[in-house]
This record gives sequence, structure tokens and C-alpha cells, in this order.
Amino acid sequence: MIIFKNLSKIYPPDVAALKNINLHIRPKEFVSIVGRSGTGKTTLVRILIAEESPTKGEIIVGGWDITNIRQSEIPVLRRQIGVVFQDFKLLSKKTVFENIAFALEVCGTDREKIKEIIPQVLKIVGLENKQDRYPRQLSGGEQQRVAIARALVHRPKILVADEPTGNLDAFNTREIVDLLLKINEFGTTVLLVSHNSEVVNSINKRVITLDNGQVSSDQKVGKYLL
Amino acid sequence: MILTSFVRIFLFASQSFWRNIWLSIVTITIIVLTFVSINFLIVINVISGAATQIIENKVDISLYFKPDITEPQVLEVESYLSSLTQVKEIAYVSQKDALEKFRKKHLQDQMIIDSLEELSANPIGATLQVKAKNISDYPAIIGVLDNSKYNQLILDKNFDDHKVYIEKIKSLSDNLKKIGFSLSAVFILIASLIVFNTIRVAIYTHRQEIAVMKLVGATNWFVQGPFLLEAIFYGVIACVLAIIIVYPLIGFVQPHLNNFFLTEEFSLINYFNDNFWLTFGLELLAVILLNIISSSIAIRRYLKV
Ligand SMILES: Nc1ncnc2c1ncn2[C@@H]1O[C@H](COP(=O)(O)OP(=O)(O)OP(=O)(O)O)[C@@H](O)[C@H]1O
Ligand SMILES: [Mg+2]
Repeated sequence: MIIFKNLSKIYPPDVAALKNINLHIRPKEFVSIVGRSGTGKTTLVRILIAEESPTKGEIIVGGWDITNIRQSEIPVLRRQIGVVFQDFKLLSKKTVFENIAFALEVCGTDREKIKEIIPQVLKIVGLENKQDRYPRQLSGGEQQRVAIARALVHRPKILVADEPTGNLDAFNTREIVDLLLKINEFGTTVLLVSHNSEVVNSINKRVITLDNGQVSSDQKVGKYLL
Repeated sequence: MILTSFVRIFLFASQSFWRNIWLSIVTITIIVLTFVSINFLIVINVISGAATQIIENKVDISLYFKPDITEPQVLEVESYLSSLTQVKEIAYVSQKDALEKFRKKHLQDQMIIDSLEELSANPIGATLQVKAKNISDYPAIIGVLDNSKYNQLILDKNFDDHKVYIEKIKSLSDNLKKIGFSLSAVFILIASLIVFNTIRVAIYTHRQEIAVMKLVGATNWFVQGPFLLEAIFYGVIACVLAIIIVYPLIGFVQPHLNNFFLTEEFSLINYFNDNFWLTFGLELLAVILLNIISSSIAIRRYLKV
């Protein structure tokens, strides 16, 4: 599903964020990416969604070599990869429904289709009865679930979550992780970037550890090292 | 789907327009002033053109023949002049008619009338009124006459009365044009900068929406389109307002023009009606183009995709 080949990223002038990364993530896998702060986890995510281009090496997503992706093809890629972040990135003046609808509207989806998709994704994240609330009327965990629902509208094959629980308490963290596991069971490849050793240890799936821009360990059923 | 997207881009653009409504108003005001100053330039051009033409039509050379020159001689001069390429038309006023004219003109002056009665021969010579095709041809015509054998038949040549006026109009309108031109240039510059800044602010105001759009895979034209369209809105609205302002203004100026030219044949309103699409259409196109350029620069600089 995702292949990184000899991937390096140097931020100008000379910050080597990633050094010679070689990874192969298979379809339907659930992968946790862990590592100290500043080891290049977010950089990896940003290269995956073509927000940054690699300095060296190749990246292939679903058989598509996006190393030198054209500007006009980036939207196509992003519709195949759902992304959520620590800060949710919800629009505060829009309701839950409108926030999710917005993601479809700007991609040209027609009204009927939007009305059909939104209840489906809200059901997955368990917010069916809160669609008319504004983000400030929701808990952090609920807000993150809205963000996940929004990331799912295009039925992406890959869901990337960069520190999705960074702002959440233990209870909400657990809920979000369970939700990600559920989405993974439906067949979506999930990439979870996390700091939280408890979370990672409880998942019992593949763990990739980055250290100083390099892969320092890659365990099939892993624990949070370091 | 294309239509749906277009409607949405249109909606986003108008939302952005309303969200910074005060900025939108300032932007539109400046563009309206730009339109008005450009139209001022056009009005100056049209008025000075018309004024010059009206005066030029009145210009001719009058050739006053000596009283003892006979009609065949005068007609010979007429046919000679007709053969010149610069000459448009020649009016012949015979001795009798000239005298009649003279009499009429001095009807009040009994002394002149009396002294005319006393003379046995007609003291007034025939006149030829020569119109040139072009105002600049007169000196040449006079030159030709001066060097011809007919010169001695002529008592006096009357020209140059109007030349001063034409020159004055020209220099006045040249000065006004310079002012109008500088004004337009300044407004165009300011308008471009304001549009640039307004779009920059709009992008800043919408930075969260833009971030989300990019994240979920909106196409570039969906991200950038609303801002480009917003800039076009400004041009269109300002153009409509400018039309609403310019017409009453020229309506106000028109009576003064009629007084000045002592004729109603020249109408600014007719000029603008006849050339409506040419003037406002072209101006609108130019302003839209300008707005597209300034907003594109703002988009390129502040909206990294
Ligand atoms: N745009 C940038 N320009 C220059 N350097 C950058 C840029 N983004 C990140 N870096 C640097 O690259 C390195 C890796 O950053 P990255 O954000 O990928 O780390 P991270 O593993 O996500 O850290 P954290 O766990 O704190 O989120 C860091 O040293 C960071 O300072
Ligand atoms: Mg990070």
C-alpha cells in the first residue's frame, strides 16, 4: 500500500529530518509510528500527502509513484488518504454537519450524495445525534471524532493520524484509538503517529520506531521502545 | 458537477465579499474613482474633439476682391482655386450680394447708408469664401494665392480669426488630458494595490478553510477560484456604480456645453449611449484584467497550494 524507498528529506539549508527510510506498509495494516520529538514523524506524514517532496528516494502509494507528483494530481492523492491532526482543524463557525459537508462540497460532490454520506460517517464515529452542534459544544474526543468522520468522506484506503490523541485525556484517547482500530477492521490501512507509550503498547500491532530521522526498529507486534 | 462547483465557488466568493464588507466597500470605491477618472479623460477628449470640429467648420478664408474686378475674373480665380487639392468648397458672393449684405449689416448707421447712396459705382468687391479640407491646409492655400498672378486682384485676405481659439482649446484640453491621465494612472495604481491587499486579507481570513480544503483534496481552482471571482466582483460592481454616477454627471455638464458651443448638435449623453459597450465594456474588461492580475499575484504569494 505504501512503500518508502531510500527516502531522505533535508529541510533547507541542512536539517536532515529523514535519512534513508525504507518501509513497506501492506494494505489493511495498522501501523504505529513512534519516536522522540523532532525525529521526523510528521515529516513522513507530510511527504505521504505530498505537502513536502522528498529530497532523495521514492515514495509509492497504492502502486502510484508520487515522488514527483504533479501539482494538479495532489488533490487526487489527498482524496485517497484521510488525515487527522492533533489540533482537529475544524471550522469553528460551522456545525458538525457543515464541517463534514464542507470537505465534500469543495470536492464537487452534489447535495444528494453529501446527504447520503454524512450520516454514514457520523455513524461510524458515533456522533449521529450531534450533527447540529458547533465544535465548541463538543468535548476534545468528540471533536477529534468529527475530524475522523471528515477524513473518511472519500472512503480513503489510508487513514493517517498524526498525534490524534495529543490533546485528549486518557478516556477520550482510548475511545479514539478504539475508533481507529474499528476503522482498520473495516479494511482501511491506518498509520498512527503517537507519543503515548500506553496507547501503543495496548494496540499489539506493528510498531515502527524512528530515531534521529532513521528507522531504529520495526516490530511486527511491537511495544513502545525508548 | 461542474455547475455545482461553479455555484459553490460563486457562493464562497460572495461570502468572502460580505465577510470583509468594509474592505470590499473601500475597494469598490477606489475602483469606481478609477472608472470615473478614466471617463473624465474620455469626456475631455470628446469635448475638445467636438469643440475643435465645431470651430474648424466655421473657419474659412474670405478673399475680398477689389471693387473694379469683374465677375468673369472672379470666377476664373474660383475655378483656379477649385483645382487645388486642399480646397473643399468655395462660396461665391457677387458684388451685388456683398453690397446687400453690407447694407443690412449697417442698417442702423444712417451715415454709411447715405454715403452709399451717393456713390454711383458699387464700392464693395465680390467675395470668395474658401473652405479647406483640413484646417492645416489654409496656410498652403494662402501661400499659393500670394504667389499667383491673381494676387493683385485681391484687396484683402481674411484668415486666422479662429486659429487662436483652436490653439487655446488644444492647449486647455492637453492640460486637462494630462491631469486626467495622471489621475487615472494614480487611481489604477491604487486600485491594483487595494485589490491585492483585499485579496491578501481575504486569504488570511480564510486560512483555516483553505487549510481544510487542501487537506481534503479540493482542486486548485476550487481553492483559488473564489478569490479570483471576488476580485472580478469588485470590478463588475464598481463598473455598474460608475455608470450610475457618470450619466447624471454628464447630464449636469450638458446644458453648460450647449451654452458654450451655442448649439445643441453635440451631445455627450448620445456619445456615451452610442459608445456604451465600447467605453464601459472595454473599461470593465481592462479593470477585470487588472484585478485578475493583482489577485493572482496575491494568491500566488499568500496561498501556497
Ligand atoms: N518546515 C521545516 N523547515 C525546517 N525544518 C523543519 C521543518 N519542519 C520540521 N523541521 C525539522 O525537521 C525535524 C523533524 O520534524 P518533525 O516535525 O517531522 O518531527 P516529529 O517527529 O513530528 O516531532 P514531534 O513528535 O514533536 O511532532 C525537526 O528537527 C524539525 O525541527
Ligand atoms: Mg509531529
